[in-house]
Amino acid sequence: MIYDAPRFRPGGDRFLEIEFGDELNLELNFRAQGLGQAITREKVKGVGEIAPFFSSALVHYDPDLIGYEDLCRELKRLIESVASSNDVELESRLIYMPAMYLDPWSDEAIDQYIEKINPNKERDPDFVARINGLEDAAQLVRVHSGTEYWVAALGFWPGTPFMMPLDPRCRLFAPKYNPPRTYTKTGTIGMGGGATAIYPVDGPGGYQIFARTPVPIWDMQQKLAPFKEAPYLLRPTDRMKFIHVNREEFDAIERQCAEGSYQMNVVGYQKISLQSYRAWVATLDMNARF
Amino acid sequence: MLEVIKSGLETSIQDWPGRQGYLKCGFPWSGPMDHWSFRLANVLVGNAPGTAGLECQFIGPSLRFTADAVFALTGADMQAKLDGVPVPTWESVAAKAGQVLEMTFPKVGARAYFAIAGGIENEVFFGSRATFNKGGLGGMGGHSIKVGQTLPVGTGGNGVAGRRVKPEARPVFVTDKRWNVEVCAGPNDDWIDEAGQQRFLTTDWKLSSKSDRGGFRLEGPEWTFTDKAHNKLPEHGSDPANIVDHGYPLGAINLAGQTPIILVNDWPDGGGFINPYTVPGCAFWKLGQSKPGEIYHFQQISVTEAQAAARRITALCTESSIETL
Repeated sequence: MIYDAPRFRPGGDRFLEIEFGDELNLELNFRAQGLGQAITREKVKGVGEIAPFFSSALVHYDPDLIGYEDLCRELKRLIESVASSNDVELESRLIYMPAMYLDPWSDEAIDQYIEKINPNKERDPDFVARINGLEDAAQLVRVHSGTEYWVAALGFWPGTPFMMPLDPRCRLFAPKYNPPRTYTKTGTIGMGGGATAIYPVDGPGGYQIFARTPVPIWDMQQKLAPFKEAPYLLRPTDRMKFIHVNREEFDAIERQCAEGSYQMNVVGYQKISLQSYRAWVATLDMNARF
Repeated sequence: MLEVIKSGLETSIQDWPGRQGYLKCGFPWSGPMDHWSFRLANVLVGNAPGTAGLECQFIGPSLRFTADAVFALTGADMQAKLDGVPVPTWESVAAKAGQVLEMTFPKVGARAYFAIAGGIENEVFFGSRATFNKGGLGGMGGHSIKVGQTLPVGTGGNGVAGRRVKPEARPVFVTDKRWNVEVCAGPNDDWIDEAGQQRFLTTDWKLSSKSDRGGFRLEGPEWTFTDKAHNKLPEHGSDPANIVDHGYPLGAINLAGQTPIILVNDWPDGGGFINPYTVPGCAFWKLGQSKPGEIYHFQQISVTEAQAAARRITALCTESSIETL
């Protein structure tokens, strides 16, 4: 739900969490992003940084400059002053991301988990398809890749995107691994809760996995053009569209990325408004699936 | 400059308060865990507060000075020797070019801090020299120091030997392996039922050996939850401790299923688990100085009390805490 009034929760002596609601909803992320922009614009005294997430925002403040109660009051005022999210337009780049679905690397990680940790684990693509009422893994691929994803936040690890599908016909849910996987390969694409993410580096993980991209989202060597400014590819309010590639294409792109010759497709002229998004959603048959 | 002869166990360049300002891109702050001891080391050698030094964990490094220098060691006493002669902690000391500082391990505490007049001047990355070892950024080539490296030292130092931190201005480490650690309730304390909250505050939690500068895992009893944790929308995830992915504050007691993990300096700054409590900044020196196997007892204080305690520590990290021998 969307809360009538934002809820403020302390996180120790110098953090505050603002909850705008408790669901995956573009409007909630617009509120969080809008507040982030307003804080940056107005340079609120004592506020160090703000990290907007799906439906909340984490604020770091300096208690020597502003007390907790005063900060809450100040943020409330700011939230009210931000134009209704309806009118807010956010810059949004569209990034075309090659992805190999039902890939051998995810398979290998799943095999490893079944062998070493949980012999009863249903394979991720079959499991996610089943609990979402889809026919099979092939339909999961159609549904998961049928939408643009909204980069609601970066977190967990430098440059790691937390994304939600913009097309409501492509909404999927998946519980996280319990216990988590000990190994996931860089570039693996997976889902947990309602969120989709890409693993920026090799490491443990809890998302259900079923695809992999050869394109880095984190590169300290900053070889490709979109990494010129920073070692991470994505920014909050970007959108991503997964483009199917086969093994041969995957390997070719991986090679080009390593050489620094890969031309990434990043479209930069668009803005997103809630109003136009809502108008489009209203035309859709919400029970349909791809 | 400083030549690394032995690296110690993950000895890293840190500055305080670390790499702030990039939480929204997923960068942890890093920086020294026991920032009380770290800040005093800089005060001892006349450095500005944000100057970089070394955090030595469990086993300290051996370093050769390539030029005359003034340095100080604070925090845990790693039984350091300069060319074989014992070096006091909490004092500024002069070293001659060519001398070797050897550190071993602490009998009490876990982390020692080394500051050198002029500071360590490795490359600044996103506003800080601090090392995020796991993430491969900051520090020396992204990582903790390695044998054979030469650590650049700033030339602007004006350190004086023979300065000491007054005993009453130093943190006092426990010797019975039991730490009383302050916590504040929130942000997600309302997900834990009353019995669970009571249990958290009365249990002896053991610090697991599966801990690092990103997270301190705790071993203890199971958690119990309020209705909110069980009856929720599917986007939260299916475990009672799952919540729609959100930002994690530094110090959060992050409940990964049934395992509480205190998120410390190199922490993952967002994810899908609740944070029922948060360890405030004033208690971080205790986290930094405790070893796996030691016991935490959590004591709840208010946000205002935590802020006042942080202010008291900051007031101690100044020239007023220094006496001349």
